[in-house]
Amino acid sequence: MPSPLNILLVDDEVVRAAMVEEALMAEGHRVICRLTSPASLNEMVARHQPDVVIIDMESPDRDTLESMALLNRENPRPVVFFADQHDSDMLQAALQAGVSAYVVDGLVPERVKAIVEVAIARFDAFHSMRQELDKARNQLAERKRIERAKGLLMKHQSCDEEQAYRMLRKLAMDRGQRIAEVADNVIDVLERLNLTSPQGRTADKRGPRS
Amino acid sequence: MSHPHHHATSPELARLTLGFVPLLDAALLIVARERGCFADQGLDVSLSRENAWATLRDKVAAGLLDGAQMLAPMPLAMSLGLGRAPCDTLAPLLLSRNGNTVTLSTALSEASGATLGDAPVVSALALGNWLRGPGNGKRPRLAMVYPYSCQHYQLREWLTLGDIDPERHVELVALPPPRMVEALRSGEIDGFCAGEPWGTLARHCGAGRLVATGDQLWPDHPEKVLGVTRSWAEHYPATLAALLRALVAASEWLAASPENRHQALAWLALPPYLDHSVRHLESLELNAAPIRQRLYGAGMLRPTPQDALHFAEPIARQLEAQGGRFSPGQLAACYSPVHFDAATHH
Repeated sequence: MPSPLNILLVDDEVVRAAMVEEALMAEGHRVICRLTSPASLNEMVARHQPDVVIIDMESPDRDTLESMALLNRENPRPVVFFADQHDSDMLQAALQAGVSAYVVDGLVPERVKAIVEVAIARFDAFHSMRQELDKARNQLAERKRIERAKGLLMKHQSCDEEQAYRMLRKLAMDRGQRIAEVADNVIDVLERLNLTSPQGRTADKRGPRS
Repeated sequence: MSHPHHHATSPELARLTLGFVPLLDAALLIVARERGCFADQGLDVSLSRENAWATLRDKVAAGLLDGAQMLAPMPLAMSLGLGRAPCDTLAPLLLSRNGNTVTLSTALSEASGATLGDAPVVSALALGNWLRGPGNGKRPRLAMVYPYSCQHYQLREWLTLGDIDPERHVELVALPPPRMVEALRSGEIDGFCAGEPWGTLARHCGAGRLVATGDQLWPDHPEKVLGVTRSWAEHYPATLAALLRALVAASEWLAASPENRHQALAWLALPPYLDHSVRHLESLELNAAPIRQRLYGAGMLRPTPQDALHFAEPIARQLEAQGGRFSPGQLAACYSPVHFDAATHH
């Protein structure tokens, strides 16, 4: 059996991260650290010297990680892992699932691939679970506000539901707020925008005459 | 993305998704959408806010985004295979010139005496002399946005002006632009080079001081471009032309009056776009010293390979350090004005 690899996992979805960790440990790997919003990713990589870094593709930390390959002289240099050009199915699957991976030079691609596949499967499984949960929670008031904010964003940006949800999540990450708080603000701003838009005013003026 | 039509001149794609990063120079994309310039060209465009440049790049390369606001050097870096597998990428239009600042924490600016001068060498030497002085052991940690960016190259050039070795005397890290001000305030970093509004915001909240600008280092340099893959441009030529015309119209609208720029700022402040980060701005300061950010004006949007020479040199050096060979042909192809001229000349 091949020696275990050290894997650094960067994901702010705590439950999803736990799922990936469990699955990778079951494959015999060492998951060194499970980070939620690391203050200094540079120091983490230097200290733990991971062979592979698995990171949520939507994480702002990707640029930090990517610069290490170029800037760090003495530390291990993680480089972005791309399943070879012929394997574009896997690349698409990783992008769709939201998984990206960095590896230290010289690692056997097949071993890394197996790890990335595990991460993709867990990310997908978590996504399905969240959808199930969303259905169950639909009655809750908070969920309704999030749905309302998603609806407004979908209309404003003519995007689909998943994209609108990601938009809310990114805003929450940037502001350090909960998604429900961001949703309240989005509803506030976008509803006010609709009321004051030229179309809205015209409709109001014409209302009484017709 | 929707189904291709087969008219000679109407766009092959009716629905597009373009990526952006929350920065002032996403303005032309936002104006083109909110003002209806895209719609006037028969395009229904969604804008997708991205948290990292690396993710925006990968999504464009994989076709999850039709195109995106890109750091000006990014199409060349992608084409040459720097940082990822090679992907031929074009910059058919410039979205902005200038806009970067070198900002130091208030504490470091005060301690070193580095302040904004007529020439960037003044503040660089002040910091350099202070670093070489007695008792200043701690290496400042300076952030830029991405390894293949004007911000990275300009920060290095500024440090070199002050005889500061970017490898030994400071520690360089990359952070996404929206994290810069908080990182500066918390002391996680001691300075940064990033695009607007982040330099002005750091000054506004007292966390930092602007000590040099990108325009001082590389006058009127291209900062952001529209980036699309070559394969996308070849598949959807009429869509690309419509996209370019819409962005030209957005730029002309922005140039037309201060009221329009005021309206643009209100759009930028919407949550799907720049959100809270522009609330401190009373107006969209364009073409104003010392930052001189440009989003419109003569020759603003038309790319040329000459314009790209600023960053071609550091890219060539990075490529050779990794064992690659720089191809001038690739530079000419990435920043060729051929698509722009075809779309705008009748």
